[in-house]
Amino acid sequence: MSDQDLVVETVRDILTGFEPFALTAERRWDAGLWGALASAGLTGVGLPEEAGGSGGELADAVAIVATLARGAGAVPVAEQLLVAGPALLAADLDLPSPEEPTTFAFADAVTVHPVDNGDGPGRFTLNGTVPDVAWAGVASHVVVLAPAPAGISGAVLALIDASSLPATDAFNLAGEPRGSLVLDQVGTSGTLLTEAQASEVRARYALARAVQLAAALEQVLAWTVQYAGERHQFGRPLGKFQAIQMELAEMAGEVTAVSALTDAAVQALDRGGNVVLAAAAAKVRAGAAVEVVARLAHQVHGAIGFTQEHKLHHLTRRLWSWRDEAGSDLAWSRVLGAGVLAGGPDAVWPALTRVV
Amino acid sequence: MSSNSLTLAPAPRSEAAEQVRAEVREFLAAELAAGTFDTHVDTWLSGVDPAFSRKLGDRGWLGMTWPKQYGGHERSAMERYAVTEELLAAGAPVAAHWIADRQSGPNLLTYGTEKQRQEILPRIAAGECFFVIGMSEPDSGSDLASIRTRAVRNGDGDWVVNGAKVWTSNAHHSHYGIVLVRTTPADPAHRHAGMSQLLIDLSLPGITINPIRILDGGHHFNEVVFEDVVVPGDMLLGEEGNGWHQVTAELAFERSGPERFLSTYPLVAEFARRVADSDDPAALATLGRLSARILALRQMSMRIAAALDRGELPNIPAALVKDVGTTFEGDVIEEIRRVVDVTPSLDSPDPLGRALAEAQLHAPGYTLRGGTNEILRGIVARGLGLR
Repeated sequence: MSDQDLVVETVRDILTGFEPFALTAERRWDAGLWGALASAGLTGVGLPEEAGGSGGELADAVAIVATLARGAGAVPVAEQLLVAGPALLAADLDLPSPEEPTTFAFADAVTVHPVDNGDGPGRFTLNGTVPDVAWAGVASHVVVLAPAPAGISGAVLALIDASSLPATDAFNLAGEPRGSLVLDQVGTSGTLLTEAQASEVRARYALARAVQLAAALEQVLAWTVQYAGERHQFGRPLGKFQAIQMELAEMAGEVTAVSALTDAAVQALDRGGNVVLAAAAAKVRAGAAVEVVARLAHQVHGAIGFTQEHKLHHLTRRLWSWRDEAGSDLAWSRVLGAGVLAGGPDAVWPALTRVV
Repeated sequence: MSSNSLTLAPAPRSEAAEQVRAEVREFLAAELAAGTFDTHVDTWLSGVDPAFSRKLGDRGWLGMTWPKQYGGHERSAMERYAVTEELLAAGAPVAAHWIADRQSGPNLLTYGTEKQRQEILPRIAAGECFFVIGMSEPDSGSDLASIRTRAVRNGDGDWVVNGAKVWTSNAHHSHYGIVLVRTTPADPAHRHAGMSQLLIDLSLPGITINPIRILDGGHHFNEVVFEDVVVPGDMLLGEEGNGWHQVTAELAFERSGPERFLSTYPLVAEFARRVADSDDPAALATLGRLSARILALRQMSMRIAAALDRGELPNIPAALVKDVGTTFEGDVIEEIRRVVDVTPSLDSPDPLGRALAEAQLHAPGYTLRGGTNEILRGIVARGLGLR
């Protein structure tokens, strides 16, 4: 058994005690699941021990995120392990305790003023609204990426203590909190990033969602294949009908494409390569697969899959949400299009052979 | 989970493949500059140029993975993958040798007699010997078990072949066919039994090659009719009665390569030129979406090349890649049409209009050749444990 198999096994064991539930405004996340993961040290995996994390590789963190996504775990692990934590470390900022949930958000409309000279880790004041904050009202800390102060190029990565900030009530299609945080002259520590560094942080968020999408797509396929084998209609299992087989095979094609590309993008990140185009591609490809896989999964499951009593919606509603989060399909498609064209129209093919 | 039979390990990164990729790019740039070929869509079906194929043979880019004793170069499937991908992306004229290099050669390596290998493989690797696939028949389509072409031994131990094969690409330019025949009469209870493969010299008496034109008027397909054709007894390929197993194994080579998603890449390249000249954000996003699909297909197809390097014959993943890839080849046309204002015509002065016309008129073939997508999805369903 490899280290990752062991990690996956451990997360699965923990998940069995926390069946997915329908999120409500009162019940925004699975605090019990988070607590169990945190006590097992799983909310610090992939972050070095000297920074307060639990150690381990990127692949371990990805395996945890994927396993939780398969189980519809309502916890900010993807944001913490794959985006906020690594971004803070790369920016030489202190990590909050991994036992307290930290999330990440794009803060394009926030203005940032340096309190000191802003050179290296320093103090900043933030002013404005951060929309679409994953786990708003749940996370103790939010790492934001905001435009650099006027006259300076690049962006500022800042750590905000969110425990005393009120979050607005807003939710994605799966009921996960996605409210806004209003920053009124909030003082905090941050670091000035170059435009390239900021792009990588954005790409990390997109890749984190792609990892979740890939895992959830695999699980939806597995559930649907299983259902087609068990559910009998007209005297035989659904899966024996050729029309159903065609639909399941189409789903399998989409899922396999997403998995292969997402794996490759994660490997590119692990190698330390420029991951912006790889992440953009994984996110866009996963987003395209969602349409086919969610539609056909519901079609094969019939009316029962359209109810809250069946588990299917825990993942299909997340699929419909996640594909448009961490940068929309349209935004990342343009990034990828512009990226492959960057060397001129005759260099598109060579660019494609370099992305992953 | 049950989809594991569809999943293959990631392809290892190959420095050697990137090296040969660079060499092919340099070669293609020089050939394009010298005007030896024009870029077209779907050139692995329609771009027949024996002289170009010989140049590739001279460079060592045919029979790349085969043993040196048979004219091969003992390079990896990943290196071969890079070469084929570059040729397709450039829309180079590769149809003459494509089938021989992709599948007939590997077929001979696996099942051929020593004499067959020594006589034929070095000629394929040199770009001098071209093959056709003799599987489909006028009344059988995808249902290969229903073929009726038969071969019976005569008193001298030779085979006498009667029947007809159809959709044989470029038979009129080719030297041999590997032909699936019935060597014992059909048994409805054992539909896959009693078939064999024969290696048939297409210049033998009794063979008639009739052209079948496709939608753009091009002549690539043929009907090949066998009337009392006497095939020497030693031209049996593999084992008598093992034909079904042999063609099934062969299909991993036929279905998995980058030609299953790059037939229309030259259209994408033309589209990219248009996008670069415009500031249309919708077109830019379309280029991004098409790129994401190409990137995923490359990863899937490279995994199969890596599996071939490991000595596996991944039939089920190959069927899956071909289904997803050929669907993409057709979708490209619609995606581009939605965001450009251009009229497709083979006579268009606009290269994008020409590429669109070529891609459109070839499109019905993408999801038919090498097994229809419905057949492929049936194979994928088996991989999912449903059949």
